[in-house]
Amino acid sequence: MATAAASRRTVRINGCVAAAQAAKYADVDVITAYPIRPYTATMMALAQMVANGELDAEYIVADSEHSQLSMAHGASSSGARVFTGSSGVGVQFAYELYSPISGSRMPVQMMIADRTLDPPGDFGSEHTDALSTRDMGWLMGWSCDAQEAFDNHLLAFRIGEDPRVLLPQMVCQDGFFVSHITADVDLPDTGQVKEFLPPYKHPYPLDPRHPVSHGPQIMPEQGPPLQLERARAMEGSVPVIEQAHNEFAQIFGRKYDPWLEEFMTDGADVVFFLQGGHGVTARYAIRHMRERGAKVGMVRMKTIRPYPTDRINEVLSRFKVVGVIETNMSLGCVSSGGVLYSEVCGALYESATRPLVLSFMAGMGGEAIVLKEFYWMTQKMLDVQKRGGIEKRTHWVGFEE
Amino acid sequence: MSTKGTHIPDWLKVPFAGITPGPSQEKGQDLFPTGNWRSIRPVYRDKMPPCNNACGTNEKIQGYLDLVKRGKYLDAYALIKEDMPFPSVTGRVCYHPCEQACNRGQYDEAISIRAVERFLGDLGLALPRDVVQAGPPNGKKVAVVGSGPAGHSAAYQLARMGYAVTILEKSPRAGGLNRGGIPDWVLPQDVLDREVDRLKELGVTIKTNTEVGKDVSWDDLERNYDACVLAVGLTEPNKVKADGEDKPGVVHGLPFLRDIGMGTSKVKVGARVAVIGGGNTAIDCAREAFRQGALEVTMITVESNPQEMPAVPEDLHDMLEEGVELLHGRAMTAVLGNGTVEALELRPARFSGAINASPITIDKNAPAQRFAVDNVIVAVGQHASLDWLPAKFKTERNTIKVDHFGRLGDSKFFAAGDIVQLGTGQPLMVVNAVGDGKRVAFNVDKVLRGEALRPRMLATDVIVDLNRMNMTYFPHFDRVKQDTLNPASRRKTQDEVILAFTEEQAVEEANRCFSCGTCNACDNCYLVCPEPCIIRYDRSNGLYKILVDYCKGCRVCIEECPTGCLEGVPELDFDTGVVRMETAFAITQGLHGRQADELKALPQRAAKEID
Amino acid sequence: MATIDIERQMLPMLGSPNTGARFYNPDLPEGEPFVPGHRTCAGCGPSIQYRMTSKAAGDNTILVGPTGCMYVANSSYLCTPYNVPWAHTQIGSAGSFTAGVAAAYEAMIRKGKWKGKFPNIICEAGDGSVSDIGLASVSGALYRNHDCLIICYDNEQYANTGIQASSRTPYGGMTTFSPPGPKVPEAKTLFPKDLGRMMAAGHPHCYVATASVGYPIDLMNKVRKALNHRGAAFLLMYTPCQKGFVYETPRSIDLGRLVVECGMFPMWEWDPAKREYDYSFRPQNMRGVADYLKLQGRFGHLHAAHIATLQKFANGQWRMMGVEIPQALMDAENPDAHVGMAAAEQAAAIAHTV
Repeated sequence: MATAAASRRTVRINGCVAAAQAAKYADVDVITAYPIRPYTATMMALAQMVANGELDAEYIVADSEHSQLSMAHGASSSGARVFTGSSGVGVQFAYELYSPISGSRMPVQMMIADRTLDPPGDFGSEHTDALSTRDMGWLMGWSCDAQEAFDNHLLAFRIGEDPRVLLPQMVCQDGFFVSHITADVDLPDTGQVKEFLPPYKHPYPLDPRHPVSHGPQIMPEQGPPLQLERARAMEGSVPVIEQAHNEFAQIFGRKYDPWLEEFMTDGADVVFFLQGGHGVTARYAIRHMRERGAKVGMVRMKTIRPYPTDRINEVLSRFKVVGVIETNMSLGCVSSGGVLYSEVCGALYESATRPLVLSFMAGMGGEAIVLKEFYWMTQKMLDVQKRGGIEKRTHWVGFEE
Repeated sequence: MSTKGTHIPDWLKVPFAGITPGPSQEKGQDLFPTGNWRSIRPVYRDKMPPCNNACGTNEKIQGYLDLVKRGKYLDAYALIKEDMPFPSVTGRVCYHPCEQACNRGQYDEAISIRAVERFLGDLGLALPRDVVQAGPPNGKKVAVVGSGPAGHSAAYQLARMGYAVTILEKSPRAGGLNRGGIPDWVLPQDVLDREVDRLKELGVTIKTNTEVGKDVSWDDLERNYDACVLAVGLTEPNKVKADGEDKPGVVHGLPFLRDIGMGTSKVKVGARVAVIGGGNTAIDCAREAFRQGALEVTMITVESNPQEMPAVPEDLHDMLEEGVELLHGRAMTAVLGNGTVEALELRPARFSGAINASPITIDKNAPAQRFAVDNVIVAVGQHASLDWLPAKFKTERNTIKVDHFGRLGDSKFFAAGDIVQLGTGQPLMVVNAVGDGKRVAFNVDKVLRGEALRPRMLATDVIVDLNRMNMTYFPHFDRVKQDTLNPASRRKTQDEVILAFTEEQAVEEANRCFSCGTCNACDNCYLVCPEPCIIRYDRSNGLYKILVDYCKGCRVCIEECPTGCLEGVPELDFDTGVVRMETAFAITQGLHGRQADELKALPQRAAKEID
Repeated sequence: MATIDIERQMLPMLGSPNTGARFYNPDLPEGEPFVPGHRTCAGCGPSIQYRMTSKAAGDNTILVGPTGCMYVANSSYLCTPYNVPWAHTQIGSAGSFTAGVAAAYEAMIRKGKWKGKFPNIICEAGDGSVSDIGLASVSGALYRNHDCLIICYDNEQYANTGIQASSRTPYGGMTTFSPPGPKVPEAKTLFPKDLGRMMAAGHPHCYVATASVGYPIDLMNKVRKALNHRGAAFLLMYTPCQKGFVYETPRSIDLGRLVVECGMFPMWEWDPAKREYDYSFRPQNMRGVADYLKLQGRFGHLHAAHIATLQKFANGQWRMMGVEIPQALMDAENPDAHVGMAAAEQAAAIAHTV
């Protein structure tokens, strides 16, 4: 059976299915699946596609997430385009594989539908699962809705497989909010995808006709150049990311800034800084508050790895106060809150006009951030602006006056 | 961009993502010559197999057995013919010192080498043309006196070297002891005839009825030939010096057998025959007596038990199977009878010193025993007839005096065989005579070409300890036995008693050979090496090479070598080929850079052949 | 895009040239995918096995190397002895990485992205990897029946990390995680997992067999049989480790024979078509376990009672294979039949002082 052709149309699907559709359009060769909520729906959709003959791929039900990623590693090393995914503790079960996969320059793609880490058992979304792997060398970014998810998956293949990059990608989306809420998604026709996404060709795959060995044991003195090369690969992905987004816009007609979405930031004094699906509710909240005269906006980060340091430095320096919404935990960290705060501050450190930065623990446990909470947070930011200084680095929304 | 402005120096260059190109099978993984790890290096050193060593003419027995294993019978036959002119003879008559020495005897049973040699010899005789040819003529003439084993062997080797050889044989038929000392039911006449014919096919001239000292003189020999090999043997029978030994009805062993062999025997054997003597000739005489019509044959020996007899045990066994009686510890002191033999006088006797080599002490006080017989055959050894030999070349033992090259002083005369070996401690055997004749022929050649004679090199490492080999690879298998004629029917004919191996039997028996100490390309070392650093050049009985750049000296190959031809030599004993390193890690600077370049070029390189 | 039928290799068995008493090895394949210059110990048993396996498999092969000696020692330092493609993977990923490679080739050949006969895909994993941390991944690969071969080179310990106990370390086997001492005179109290039969029983559609470096041609033929089998195959191979077992280096092959002859490592094949075990392999001799144990320093601390216990274990293995046990081996279950190993006395002496 060969992968079926498809034509342009709009469908109402959730983020999981959108990811599955992207994998199908990309004509992946190997899919490794292991059930864990909420990302499982992606794999369920793919299983049906394969069974129907819509997608010609090897669909493997793995025995664990660790095996999932190992299989993906093996398949990608052999020259196959691979798709896998997980959520929550599943993402962590596979942890051992993230550095080897990125270090061996294999462009595996992983769909992550976020889920809170244990304890407690909770199906709701927090970003800690994927964020805990942020140092491992994968390209990483959050989508805020199903369309973005679909588009980001295709972009990730294009960027990750580019011979100048060759890095694996985690395309993340909030569990439930994006993964299970349906939305209208424009699906392209196969020709457009063929134009945008060339076939995957690794320069040194495991091919009996060109024998190579992947990953020999080294001496310490060989470590530095290899690590430097990994750093170069990650940094070298920046121009490719920009080029890919331009090509995407030309072929599919949807233009995205690869790094940030600015929403109603013109004239804003205070801005929310966040990533992922809460950006959608944030837009509503900000519109409401703008109508009431609050000079508030939002900067949504679309790519966290590679971190757009200079861009964030430049953009956030235009504001007086930045309120980082952390839908993740980094216990014992600088802000006693989440991950994003430290990186924002690090990006802003050299700025002559850096804003005041505080963070909000909101949406924890997979709860929606409701309008009232946006108002409360905005008020906090305005207070900080008035005061000229932060009260404390992290506020627990819903638990403070 | 933290990596802006960074530069990886050449000596730290590494391949993309640490991916390394596969090494070639020819060069190995040459970043690490692990050869510098070892303290002991395995080397292939063939040892002398005990069979080759024990053989009087050093036939390459292990070699030809190995060829038989592989079905290469013609090659095996050719290999024997390098050292032995008449394998179909020795395949029947030899006392097989090789089998006595065979290491398999310590394990289960010795290889039946003689029978395999017979199989090959007969195969060779059946060829329309022999595999051996005379060498290009060199214009020189050599005389060989005597056509027995030593003379035949010397003539054979000399002809192969291109000499014009003439054999002078005093008997009416050629063959010496092969003809006249060995009964037909051991060595049929026609087999010997064909071997002699092979000799003639090499261009050797044989003049029978030509006796030196009668028909040809010493001076004739000196004048007419460039060199001369005296292989006259011990043709005169010893006497026991008993009264009446010259009566009619008393014959001596060698003439008895010789006349039968030449077809000129006039002896009529009566019903009861006694044979005096305990050696092989005596046994042959006893068994021959039956075939000549005797009804009772008794062998009378001074030796007090069968183990002391100098006879080959299997021949003794066959003799007893045929019904010969044994009487030990007695000497014949007189032959009694009026004009004919009626009885023997026997007295208890023993050797005064070493068995078989010292004078006999007869107990004169003990009563004499009267033993009724019709014929007596006295077989107590032979001596030479050397009246024609200049006195300066005679020893006190009445043998020919030679140096250890077999040469008579500085003359162009050489001697070989029993005539020089008697009393030297070497058993008098056909195969020893053949070896002697062969070595003398090579010495003749050296002298005639003006080259220096070199003393013979003896093997220093004869492998006799099974612990030096690996017996795991040799399960126990019984020796294949040759069929024999039914003992009861043997005396009715002159047919061969011991029957030939079939091809299957020859191969089955050859298969049991351990190939002691000699590489026979079994590939075991090649197979078990962990590196692997043993490569194969050439599969036929050679050669493996150990890549000393890589060998770590684990010595698994030595342990698993079935034949023991591998041994470990301390590394420091070698002054070349030792891999030394300057640092703990033998990475030549820049080798990883080389890998990086190789890797970059890999996708463009021709695809490896994988089908 | 039409799909393409996948052509698979069929490798011939190595026949014996021997009839009767003759000993020669059969015509061995010329190719040498595993080349010298790797940093395994001299006499390394797994290395011997690796070389034989590569030779039997040939050039259209991909090797997978989970962390272990056959990864670290072979590829130190940033070099490789493999003339065929090889990839390192995590110690627990033996079955899964291999499955990924197999699945990739199924897809790539079928979809026309790679042309050729389906490569041999062989995973070389140690017993630590297969029996412990990677057990699930190996079982998964076998259950899913990917066309691959998973070899467990069993040196009965975690060797590369400096000799630690694994679930394959025998009772009485000293390692740095199971040292002998007054509290634990036998050093290791647990008996090993029956890894081979676990794999056969749990995945009866697979070709499963045991092999030993003591029987090289048998090993190579089992490799070929496994590769010819359409689907997953598992081979458990006894490969002695000089460093961990502490024996004279030249004895690697010899130990491979002795372990089978004393019954501690049964040789058998599981037939996936007939769904039954073939226990017909008989070594040349049957010996007591003491003949095997006494050659290895890792058993140097055993008292007579411990040796007797091991004999009981070995007799159990013979019984499982349906082999009649000679009286001498039955008698050897009695501690009185044995003399303790040399170090046992020293250990006992220390115990009295504690």
